[in-house]
Amino acid sequence: MEPIVKMTGIVKQFPNVLALKGVDFSVEKGEVHSLVGENGAGKSTLMNILYGVLQPDLGEIYVRGQKQVIHSVRDAMHLGIGMVHQEFMLAPSMTVVENIILGFEPNRRSVVDYDAAAEKIRALSEEYGLAIRPESRIIDNSVGEAQRVEIIKALYRGAEVLILDEPTAVLTPQETEDLFKVIRSLKEHGKTVIFISHKLQEVLAISDRITVMRDGRVQGTLLASEATKEKIATLMVGREVFLNIKAPEGKRGGVVLDVQGVSARGRRRLSDLKNVSFQVHAGEILGIAGVDGNGQSELVEVLTGLRRVDQGDIFVSGTKITNLPPGEIRERGVSHIPEDRNRSGLCAELTVAENLVATKLKRPPLSKNGVIRGQAVRELASRLVEEYDIRPGDYRIPTRNLSGGNRQKVVVAREVSEDAQLLIAAHPTRGVDIGSIEFIRSILIAQREEGKAILLVSADLEEVLSLSDRIAVMYEGRIVGILPASEANEQVLGLMMAGGEYAKAQGEEEKVVEA
Amino acid sequence: MKLNLLDRLDKLQAPLNVLVAVLIGFIIGTGLMLVEGHNIGEAYTALFNGAFSGRFNFGGTLERFVPLLLSGLAFAISSKASVFNVGVEGQLYFGAMAAAYFGYTIVGLPSFLHITLVLLLAGLAGALWALIPGFLRAAYRVNEVCTTIMLNYVAIYFTSYIVNHLFKNPHIGVPQTPNIQESARLARILMPSRANIGVYIALGIVLFFIWLMDYTTLGYKIKTVGLNPQFATYAGFQARSIMVGAMVLSGFIGGITGAIQVLGIHGYFLDNFSKSLGFDGIMVALLARNNLKVLPFVAFFLAALKSGAVGMERFTGIPRELIGIMEAVIILFAAAEAIIVIRRRLSYQKGGAEVV
Repeated sequence: MEPIVKMTGIVKQFPNVLALKGVDFSVEKGEVHSLVGENGAGKSTLMNILYGVLQPDLGEIYVRGQKQVIHSVRDAMHLGIGMVHQEFMLAPSMTVVENIILGFEPNRRSVVDYDAAAEKIRALSEEYGLAIRPESRIIDNSVGEAQRVEIIKALYRGAEVLILDEPTAVLTPQETEDLFKVIRSLKEHGKTVIFISHKLQEVLAISDRITVMRDGRVQGTLLASEATKEKIATLMVGREVFLNIKAPEGKRGGVVLDVQGVSARGRRRLSDLKNVSFQVHAGEILGIAGVDGNGQSELVEVLTGLRRVDQGDIFVSGTKITNLPPGEIRERGVSHIPEDRNRSGLCAELTVAENLVATKLKRPPLSKNGVIRGQAVRELASRLVEEYDIRPGDYRIPTRNLSGGNRQKVVVAREVSEDAQLLIAAHPTRGVDIGSIEFIRSILIAQREEGKAILLVSADLEEVLSLSDRIAVMYEGRIVGILPASEANEQVLGLMMAGGEYAKAQGEEEKVVEA
Repeated sequence: MKLNLLDRLDKLQAPLNVLVAVLIGFIIGTGLMLVEGHNIGEAYTALFNGAFSGRFNFGGTLERFVPLLLSGLAFAISSKASVFNVGVEGQLYFGAMAAAYFGYTIVGLPSFLHITLVLLLAGLAGALWALIPGFLRAAYRVNEVCTTIMLNYVAIYFTSYIVNHLFKNPHIGVPQTPNIQESARLARILMPSRANIGVYIALGIVLFFIWLMDYTTLGYKIKTVGLNPQFATYAGFQARSIMVGAMVLSGFIGGITGAIQVLGIHGYFLDNFSKSLGFDGIMVALLARNNLKVLPFVAFFLAALKSGAVGMERFTGIPRELIGIMEAVIILFAAAEAIIVIRRRLSYQKGGAEVV
């Protein structure tokens, strides 16, 4: 049978990088086809070309056997191609219905026919098992709901081929399972799904076929039934990788971080911190799991002085640091890998060297009486660039010329070399290539071995599970439970991330086992 | 390697664009002269001679160069921290008044000490005046552009009150302060022009601030706060205090700018003497893109234009306002281009945030 979408010899040049180097990619009608690869492999670029956002420099696109030139998103929609982006394109203060029909409003005598729209949307929602609340405003919807709205929006516009760009990145395991049900139902109805991800387990669970990209090229297309995690990872990276480094139980020392009943105003009401208490010991990694936006960012901010604590106290090695300015908290032995490296963690216009020394500049040997000692700065920068394998190895170039992974290595290098007793790592490997993930994780383990206390916040359960000694789960600004990593698995954590108590979560899991 | 090439182009782009703006300015200026029926060759010869030929004319250029350079530096320094000090004019008035006062009242110091002391006190006066908008911005988020503009009027009229009623030279009809002591005077160079050793002082100050920005932790902090305040805070710098600090430094330079006019040119404070010397600095900083190393060249170029315009008017009858139009065109094009660069940066940060 003719593939529903066929792309041949696609080449795309960006100002300073050749993003696609002649890609052939084809999708059969009615299959779930995963596109995997590290960040920067070209997955999103390829899909943006198919969706009409970008134009290829070379190559051809065939849809249902017909050669097509897709100039715009509108063209793509006419061809029945829809895409759900990683960042939702929804107007927060408008209702679900309004968002779905935006730009495609059904008219009756030039008045928007909301009833007809709502009717059609309801029908779509029932047909594919997409539970939504049509009259609610997006702002009141959860991330999972908003995602379903996006999917319906694409279907409403007549999508036959649905591109999902990293759809599970923002979901709990249970929500992911719901999404998979929807994808299966889409498939049953003859729709075609292109699923972009870098979570290999999910890819294996949902796909019929898997195409692996690396460095702007397709490395191969596998049948999911014949693929394994190792096979895919090897294709992705070009060598064997070891992500699940589980270091032997560390020697746990005294309490380094002691958080006592901390409450603070959050960005949203759901993420207000409510009476949060926990401790992190020396030589221990405490992982904080949770769906994004449940107070993890706020927790990191109060610990580092970037957000005011309303109630409660924070101690580092016995010293109270509650509501001290960030600089003073750093001086008391806290270093911090922030969740948003581009906005907080780096200054893109400054050079790599300037970024590497930012937190150390005011102390000898890098400066004396306020005068910077260039020689010392260059020595430290070149040492860190080498030690942390930051590429390209020139510390005089602006940081904005570095890839995501290397930018993150700059941040990690700076913070880890602070040699602080407490390292707070917020999403240290988010949006980073596999090679760098492996490297950064091994550094965190090494820090633990050196007796540092590490607070690891991550939305990536695999990461939390493989690195942590203990895991705390946050839900709506509360810690719903802390459990030893040995007792945790995705199922238990997933239930807790959705608000379940630890004990209850355990109970339900047993029920699952019994059933 | 490709990246390096792009970077190099990026660096070249700025001066190239300024050159293009200047070129367009000259083309339009020439066009206007032609429309008015002037002889182009004569006009430009007179313009050039008016700026450079002979001690008097070249001195006139240097005399204008000093306040342009310093007020440009003042504006550029605060802009580095993303604070826009449009109040250099007011700080300059306070500095000038302080210079006139201490230049007159302090007696018996050796010249070098007297000058140094007066310059520092004048700087302090400007700095204190700049502290007000700086503090308001840091503590209450009051837009510093508004406050500095308004405080300019306060400064101009307040010093006017002082020179008219409290500290006036009783022997002269015009509102001016008594002459400063000889020991406070800046030695003249290139007589009979009014150029003076203020040129060296100004260049010294610029060198000092180039050093400050590149080689001190304070300079690093100012730069960082200006580029990315969120990062600065995260790294443990007190972003707000640094913004106030940049404002105060800027005011300090503004004060010294006024002082050099008093000590080197007039010898007294004259009511309403500046006629927007402080505002011209914004233009200089804008053309130089706040690049301290480029400032002297831009200031010199504009000074030469202004000084040449006078000569041109004298010898050819072409009104000097025509050169003013040229300046305006240059600034307009340079500024428009600056906006394009900034927008490109923004879209770069938003879109392809990470090069892979």
